[in-house]
Parts: sequence; structure tokens; C-alpha cells
Amino acid sequence: MTDPVTTEESHVTPQKPAGGVKATSERPKAKPAFDFEPKIRIENLSLYYGQTRALFDVDMSMPAGEITALIGPSGCGKSTLLRTLNRMNDIIPAVRVTGTVAIDDVDIYSKAVHVDLLRKRVGMVFQKPNPFPKSIFENVAFGLRIHGESNRNSIEETVEKSLQRAALWDEVKDRLRENAMSLSGGQQQRLCIARALAVGPEILLMDEPTSALDPRSTARIEDLLDELRSDYTIVIVTHNMQQASRVSDWTGFMYEGYLVEFGQTEKIFIAPEKKQTEDYITGRFG
Amino acid sequence: MSEKYILRARRNDRIARWIITAGGVAIIATVILILVLIVEVTLPLFLPVGAEPLAEVSLPAQLRHEDVLLLDADEYMRDGLVLTRGGRCVFFDLKTGTVKHTENLAEDASRGEALACSRVGAQQYCMRWSSGLVTIVTPDFGLSEAENHGVAKPYAVEELQSIPASVEPGEIATSVARYTDEGLVTRVDLLANNTFRVAQRSVSTDLMGNESVEAYESLIDGLPGGVSAYTLDTQGEWLYAGTADGQLIRWDLGNLGSPKLVGAHKATEDNVPVTALEMVFGDVSVAVGTGSGKLTTWFPVRKTPEAVTKQLAPIHDLAPHDSAVTSILTSRRNKSLVSLGKDGSIHLDYPTSEQHLLSLSRAERVVKTGYTARGDGILALTEANRICVWRIDNPHPEISLSTLFGKVWYEGYDAPEYTWQSSASTDDFEPKISLVPLLYGSIKGTFYAMLYAIPLALFGAVYTSHFAQGRIRNVIKSTVETMAAIPSVVIGFLAALWLAPIIERYTVTFLLGIMIVPVLIVIFVMLIQPLRQRPFLKQVEQGFEFVLMVPVVLLACTLSYMLAGPLEALLFGGDLKQWLFESAGQRYDQRNCVVISFALGFAVIPIIFTIAEDALSNVPNSLKAASLALGASRWQTVWRVVLPSASPGIFAGIIIGFGRAVGETMIVLMATGNTPVLDMSIFNGMRTLSANIAVEIPEAPLGGTLYRVLFLSAVILLVFTSILNTMAELIRQRLRSKYGLNN
Repeated sequence: MTDPVTTEESHVTPQKPAGGVKATSERPKAKPAFDFEPKIRIENLSLYYGQTRALFDVDMSMPAGEITALIGPSGCGKSTLLRTLNRMNDIIPAVRVTGTVAIDDVDIYSKAVHVDLLRKRVGMVFQKPNPFPKSIFENVAFGLRIHGESNRNSIEETVEKSLQRAALWDEVKDRLRENAMSLSGGQQQRLCIARALAVGPEILLMDEPTSALDPRSTARIEDLLDELRSDYTIVIVTHNMQQASRVSDWTGFMYEGYLVEFGQTEKIFIAPEKKQTEDYITGRFG
Repeated sequence: MSEKYILRARRNDRIARWIITAGGVAIIATVILILVLIVEVTLPLFLPVGAEPLAEVSLPAQLRHEDVLLLDADEYMRDGLVLTRGGRCVFFDLKTGTVKHTENLAEDASRGEALACSRVGAQQYCMRWSSGLVTIVTPDFGLSEAENHGVAKPYAVEELQSIPASVEPGEIATSVARYTDEGLVTRVDLLANNTFRVAQRSVSTDLMGNESVEAYESLIDGLPGGVSAYTLDTQGEWLYAGTADGQLIRWDLGNLGSPKLVGAHKATEDNVPVTALEMVFGDVSVAVGTGSGKLTTWFPVRKTPEAVTKQLAPIHDLAPHDSAVTSILTSRRNKSLVSLGKDGSIHLDYPTSEQHLLSLSRAERVVKTGYTARGDGILALTEANRICVWRIDNPHPEISLSTLFGKVWYEGYDAPEYTWQSSASTDDFEPKISLVPLLYGSIKGTFYAMLYAIPLALFGAVYTSHFAQGRIRNVIKSTVETMAAIPSVVIGFLAALWLAPIIERYTVTFLLGIMIVPVLIVIFVMLIQPLRQRPFLKQVEQGFEFVLMVPVVLLACTLSYMLAGPLEALLFGGDLKQWLFESAGQRYDQRNCVVISFALGFAVIPIIFTIAEDALSNVPNSLKAASLALGASRWQTVWRVVLPSASPGIFAGIIIGFGRAVGETMIVLMATGNTPVLDMSIFNGMRTLSANIAVEIPEAPLGGTLYRVLFLSAVILLVFTSILNTMAELIRQRLRSKYGLNN
């Protein structure tokens, strides 16, 4: 273990001032650390699974209409961080969250926010493709139906649009009634993206979306991310550093529950400020 | 070394495979064996009647067929007898035709010669002599020393009654006579001028031993047509006559000395004469044969519900002869009857099932038949003076698919009905073996049980698998497992002796509760919606909602209890049972469908719950997460994602529960009252197929009709459940391919 940061240490020396630009240690309303308008603003976020602490005072912002990648070794908390953004951690018993997660300057953990409506705004794509065992059409229409859409024409229209958006339409337009399980893994994942897009989210969370796919399918998903870039704020967790460097505009490196460094992707990959980041990126550990 | 090891591993593999295969095959073989064994017992029910030619011999003692008045055999089909015109009774060996004994019944010349003879009762013959005398005699078949414990028993004929005529013998056309053990002797003569002369002689003995004799004589004249056939029942109480223009007339002779005409009915079309009349065993039905060969049975029914007296009605149509029916003989064991056509064809029919069991004929015309009292032998006398004997194997004549599953018009009933009443105290009882009320009872009990069990078990399973928290989930699951372990006899016992009286006492409360509890819960849930964001409620909501529900349910129960009294007074005049009987004609049974619904439901819930809960828990979390991430609420997720994905398992649970409910015996046996009625009312009991087997198997003689019918019920149960399971499996496969996961 050449780990430079032990757990005891981490309490004393948090890795907050990433690049010295973030000013979250000041309590008052966080100033934009970079010259962008943050879509998502995370302040002083900590998360506990019962007695175990999984996130330590994370502060970061994610710009609107751009792709933010979260990288880091397994178990570093990047997925946990992602799941705080649509409150998916709520379903796990005994999870406690402190700090603020604000989307468009509204704290999503405040009582005024309805969690179902939040998740409508913040779509999510999971690591393993998880289409419902229903038809392709019904998979995409599912979100519309649960949010009360009953107009057949409008559902059909949205389904088609979403499938086109997810670059799947041409492959499935003749077999919309077939079971989604009959699609290949890559197609299933794009279907999941189409399903997430159908409810009209502003933010798309992707939890290692290509880790279960072959390189070809991965490439297609990456192309797709590029196309979706300007319309959605995308946060992607990835193990694959090439992927992070290829698709993202911003990158955050996490380690053992801390956000070690956050900055523009080029900068993180070319000239990381922290040694830990550099070690990780150059493959010295992790 | 390693090669040795591999060889050993291979050998072990092979042995294991053989053992496992043997186990699987043994299971399948056992199931098939059980089915085969049960079916084998039921098969004789549907086998055709067997007629085995036993012997054909020449008429003994150089008799000619014109001399023979009557033909019969003993109960072992060993000896036959003929009664001859000369007044002799000739016993002969059925196999060889050798004469064993001849008894002269004429005694002296004053009796004249015997003119006619008919069978009365089991083995008694009513003979009319040319002197006008009527005698009733019974044969006594002899036994050899070896057969009768060392004492030889001679052949004999005993004379039981001797009834002299009170008119000139020349006036008498025909006569019949009956006597009863109570000392009533009835003789009816048809006189040459087409009038009946009824002579009744009643001998009664008082306590002192003094005999007093009352004798009555009456004439029945003004008959609508010439009488062509007539008969009396065994008690001499009813006189039936058929006329040459096809009428069937019935008189009540019960009032001594004053016969009363009860009714006259058109029995044939085109004024064809009635040519044969005979009472069917049991003295309720009369079999009518006509000149055109038609054979029907009639018995008195109440034609309209208001009718005071019962009138004869044609009930069963039997297979017709090609020519006139000349005689009808009946069995003394069951309702079968043998009829002889003028062309010599012999028919064996069974009225209840309207089955034509057998046709027999010979190359030479048959002029006379005999039918043993046991109904196991038919004798035929041909023009060629030969006697043919058949042994009849006819153990289950009353069984046919139409009597098992169709409406049957039983004796004494006013209309065809589905009835199960397999036995009674008398031998001449007509067994009523419709399986419809039992099937209906099974389905009815199961239906009400499932009505209660399915929602409870499924809601419970959904709650436990997707809403409850860890500790509560464990408590619920182990409680339900305990439920499954309760012996059904305990449930049945509690239901019958504890629950049934409570429900009877608080019927209205129960019914009201069924409505009030859900309504109040819904209202409560709607009211609490605005308060849901309160932190306290939020905490409770994590699977502890039921804590809030407890007071609501208690309130609902109290409310139903308090409202029940006034409501019953208001709607049902203070007594539901009374009201039910008066306004709907429904009886309230204490052990009814409500009780069964709870008790049987209680037995079924653990099965459905356990299987459904497993299926629900096994829905992958990734699907749940996908749904939740799209903004679906917990309930939407369960309803739209979890339930469809788990539907094959849930369906399997329901079907297995259904199968258990259909086959459940102990609970229904104890808590249904076991009345085989066809009634949808929830306040009535029922008798199920399974309970019926349990109730009646002790009364069913081995190999008898009832015994085999009970096995048939078992086959039906088995087939029913296997059809159900196959259907369930097919639907499950379809559901699985539609909603299930690939893996």
C-alpha cells in the first residue's frame, strides 16, 4: 500500500482545495469555482451507510450542457456520489446524507422537492443494461405512462424521437413489439438511454454505462454521448480513463470518499495538480 | 495414480447418475401406478353388461313349450324349474336338462288345470286354476348332503296362500293376487264382461290371540276400454290397468272395499293397446309395454307445485322392440327389467339411466322368458322346446355418463334433478349418484376460499417483499410458515366449533365489516396524504404503515359491531335468518360458505403467500432501480415492473393454492355440513368431492357401485388437478416468455 492518504489522516487533511480554485470552505453561498453556470452544485456533501461514512465533504459543480466524468478506483464513492444526484440512495435503508446538492440552485434534499419528480428531471443509466422484460416500445413508453401520459399519438411520437435520439431507431423500428430482451447488449444499453430520455430529463447520470459492453458498442455509446452533449447535462462514472478523456469536458478524480481533484478534462489528464491523481492516471495504482 | 483417480471419479459419476435417474423414474412410475390403480377400480362402472351363455337344454319331461306357464331358476343358477299347464312343477338341472324332481300342485282333480302363472315378489308364483282358485306358491330347491352340512334337503313346493273364487270360474278371464305379512290378501279378477272384481280379506289378531276376519268385495265397471293388461303392486294397494285403446288407469285399493280411481292417462299414440304391465322393483314405477313395441316406465308425480294428488306420468323411455311387448319381468335386486317382444327378442333395460343394457335372441322364436330374482340370469324358452340360459353380469346398471353428470328423474321426484343420495335404509331404494352437486360443492368452496385467500396472500406478499423492513419481514414470514404447519384438522375443528357459531351470531357485523374496513382504510389513506411530508410520518412510512392502520381497522370493526344491530333491525326486520328464509327462501346453515372461506382460505394463504413472496423477491433489483430512476413511485414500480415480472410465480402460487383448496378434505368435512346441494348462497354449506369420499367410503361395500363411484370421484379430482396444473404451467410459460427474464 503506497497509499499516501490513510483514513485517519483524511479526517484531518481533507483534499478539499482541489486546485485551490474551489472556495467551498467558506460557508456562504458557493461562488462558481469556474467560469461556468453550474447545473448541479454539490456543497459539503457527506454520506453515511449506517455507521460507515462513504463520502467526505464533497464540493463540486457540474456545468450545464457538458459532460462531467467521475473517475477513481473501485469503492472510491463515485457511484455513491452519482446516486446522490437523483436520490437513488434513498431506497437503501439507513443511508444518511448531510450537506447540499442543488440543481438549478434548488436543494434536492429539501422537503419541497418531490423525489419522483426529481428523478424525472435527472435520468439515470446503469452499469448493466436493465431493460424491462417488455416490448421495446413499452420500455420507452414506460416513463411516459407512469408520469400520466395517456395520449397514444403523443406517446408514439415521443418513443420514436427518443429512440432516434439514442441512435437506435433505425435498428428497431420494425420490431418495436418484440421483447427488449431480444436486443444485443449494446442495443439494450441504448434502449435504456432512450428510456431515460423519453421522460425529458435535463440531467443524465451514467454509472459506468459501457463496462458491460464490447468495444464496438462502447464506441457507439460514446458517439451518442457526444451527440447528446449540448442538450443534456451529463455526469458519467467510468473506470476507463481513455473513455473519460475521450468524452468528458470536466473530470473529477475521487479517492476513498474524497473528491481529490476536479477540473477540465485536458488539465486533469495532462497536468494534474495532485500527485494521487497523476499516479492514478498514469496507472501507478488503482 | 491420477488415472486411477479419474476412473474412480467417473465411476462415482455413473453411480450417482443411475441413482438419481432411478429416483426420478420411480416418482413418475408411482404417480402412473396410482392413476392406473384408481382407474382400474372405476372401469367396471362403464363396462358393457356381460351375457355369458350358460347352457342350452331341451325342455325336460318331454314337455312342449305350449305347456309351460312359467320359467325360473334358483339363485345359484344351478337348477331350473317350469310350471306347467298340468299343474306340475318340474325341477331340472340347468346344465343337462335332467329332471330332478316333479311336484304335482293340482293335489286332486277339483283344482282343474293351471291356466296362468305369474311371478310375485322374489320367488313366489301366483297360479290360477280352471276351478277359479288362485294359489300362491314358493319353490324350495333341494340340496344334496354335501351341500347342506350332511343333511339332504328335498325339492318341494310350498303353498303360501289359496284364495277361492267367489264367482263362476267361467266368468273369470284372468286373475292376480297378492298378500302381505300384515294379513291382507287381495285378489283381483278381470271378468269376461270387462269389469274388475276386487276381493280383499284382512285378518287381524288382537292381543288375546283372537282372529277377526274382514272380507270386502267390490266391482269396478264402466272401464273406458277393454283391459289388455293389469297388475297389482306387492302390497295389493294399487291396481294398474292398461287398455286395448292405449290408456293407463290407476286405482287406489288402500281403502278396503271401496276402490278409488286415481287417474287415467293416454299411454300410447294411435290407440295402440297396452300389452304388458309390471311393477318395477320398489313398487313406485310401473313398466308399460305396448303393441307397437314401446317400453316406458311411469310413476306418480306432482305435475304442478300446487297439485294435491300425484298423477302418473311417463318418465323413462326405454329402447323399443320391433314388435309388441308380450311380457315384462323385473329384477328383485335393482330396477332392471327384462322384456320380451312378440318376435322373440329379449331386452334388458335399466329405467333410471335409460340404458339399453342387452339384446338377446335365438334362431327360433323365444316364447317365454325367465329372469332370476337376483337379476343375474335370463332364461328363454323357444318354439323348438329348448331352454337357453345366460348368466348376466350387470353390477352397475344405474351408472352412465348421463346419470353421473346429467339431470335424472328419480322415483318420487317431481322433475329431473342433480341429486347425490347414495344409500338409504331400504333395499328397493334408487341410488342417486349425480356427481354434479359434489363438483359444484368443490368449486363453490374453492371459489369462496380463493376469494378470501388470493387478495390477502398477494397483498401480504407484496408488502413483505417490497414494503416491509427487515425485522418485520422476518416476523411475517415465519408467522406464515407457522400457519402452513397447522394441521388442517385443527383448522377445521376451530372453524366448525368456534368460528361458525360466532359468525352465526354476528353475521351482519361480519358482512358490514367486509364493507366498512376497506372503505375506512381508503378514506384514512386519502386523509393522510397531505400530512405525509411530516417527519414523523416519514419515519413511519418506511414499512411501518400498518401501525397507523391498526387503530383504523379497530375503529372499523367497532363501527360494524355497533351498526350491525340497528341495521339488522332496519333492513332485515331484526333477524337476518328469518328475513332470509321469508323473503328469499334461503336457509341459513351454521356451517356455511363464509366459515369455509375463512377456514379453507386460512389453509391456502401460506401456500400462495410463500410462492408469491419468493417470486416477488426474486425480481432483480436492477429492474426496480430502473423504474425508480425514471421517477416511478414505489407503488408504480411494484405494480408495473415487479408484479408483471413476478407474475409467473404468482400465478403458480395461486394455482397450487387452488389445487390445495380443491383437494382439501378435513376442513371442508368438518366445517361445511356436507349437504350436497346446488345453491350459490353464501349462507349454505356444500359437500365437496373430497369430503364425500371421506364421508362415504366407510359405507361403501367393496366392489359395489358406490365404492367404484367414489373411486371415480378420486379420478376426477386427480384429473382435475392435473388439468389445472398443466394449464397453469402453460400459462406460466407464456407469462414467462412475455414478462420473465431470459436467465
